[in-house]
Amino acid sequence: MLDQLLTYCLQYGGYLLQLLLLTVFTARGHWRRNIGVFLYLVVFVSVDSAIRPYTLHHYGFQSRQYLHVYWFTDVVLTILAFALVCEFFRRACAGNDKIWQTLRPMLGFVFLLLAAISYFMIASNKDVYWHFIFQFQRNTYFTCLVLTTLLYIMMQRAEVRDEELGMLVCGMGILFAAPTAGLAGKGLLPDSAYMKILINHISQLCMLGMLSTWWYAVAKFPNAATVRDIPATVQGLE
Amino acid sequence: MVMATLILILSIALCLFYIQTVCQKILARRFSEEYFRSIANANRLEFPFVRKAVEEFDGPVDYAWIRMALKCDYLALTYLLKNAANAKHRYARSEMLLIAYFHALFCTMGLLHLLKVPERPAIVKLTEILQHFADVVGERVSSVRFGDLSASDYLLSL
Repeated sequence: MLDQLLTYCLQYGGYLLQLLLLTVFTARGHWRRNIGVFLYLVVFVSVDSAIRPYTLHHYGFQSRQYLHVYWFTDVVLTILAFALVCEFFRRACAGNDKIWQTLRPMLGFVFLLLAAISYFMIASNKDVYWHFIFQFQRNTYFTCLVLTTLLYIMMQRAEVRDEELGMLVCGMGILFAAPTAGLAGKGLLPDSAYMKILINHISQLCMLGMLSTWWYAVAKFPNAATVRDIPATVQGLE
Repeated sequence: MVMATLILILSIALCLFYIQTVCQKILARRFSEEYFRSIANANRLEFPFVRKAVEEFDGPVDYAWIRMALKCDYLALTYLLKNAANAKHRYARSEMLLIAYFHALFCTMGLLHLLKVPERPAIVKLTEILQHFADVVGERVSSVRFGDLSASDYLLSL
């Protein structure tokens, strides 16, 4: 009973926050500056608030259709999340095209490597389709978490003072950390109903955490711009 | 098995790191003026003295006094956050996160004291959170006019 109540609270809280965030992005015109975040949010809201509930309502929880839609949309969201991390890298490298030119093929290579590793990890398994989805997601989440951390470190070293981007990256980090821990913990922790509920609630909480962080980033840094520290040589000239 | 354990530990650590970073970024917000001074004076809060004592003197700190002062200031400021010039009478999301961060740091401070490890960094962070709360309250109070009442008079009337 309490578990159901908590699930509904987190679920509808998430829907509300997603819609509010989209409204703020649209009404205040932030979507132009954060086109990647905006597109990700649009797909996220469409999947989470429309496509999945519609399929669930029409076909039921146990149906094969719902299972397919759920996992397919999950893979789409995972790939989009990876693309969003790449977009954050591009934004962090604004004004420094050389670094971005080096990073771009590397990020593409990482994605191809991810897909290849996921495939070879399940090549011996009979149910290739489902195992590929599971392995691919597990690897992508972990890779995105590592990439987000690298991006954060890079921003600290380059002294990028884009506060909005900093908060957006932190939000992404929170979002990736929970599913990564959940997927890793699945094989390690006892397979009990309580553990599944706990992992589910933590993931939902982290999703809310990401949305709240993005909300704060948009609400508190409305006119954020990328500013770098002036190099010492230039300062000397002045 | 080993790999999964490593990933689990690493992802939990990174999740906590990002949550802490978000808290630090909220605390790094700059206010147009130092509102916290008037709030601390009006309510006789002790956290500015605690911070001064910890940062300026190298000698041993009076842990019992600091703990009590921080706890009392926290209770006063959270009450003000909820009720002073706040029409909704509830905390914002960022405030709830900082309240949770305060509790976590408060427990850490107690633990560090038990283990005889210097607790100064934790105390400084706790005073930073209280200062942020005081700044938020001050900013809210100063943005609303209460007839002829000054910010301090208004706070005393609560």
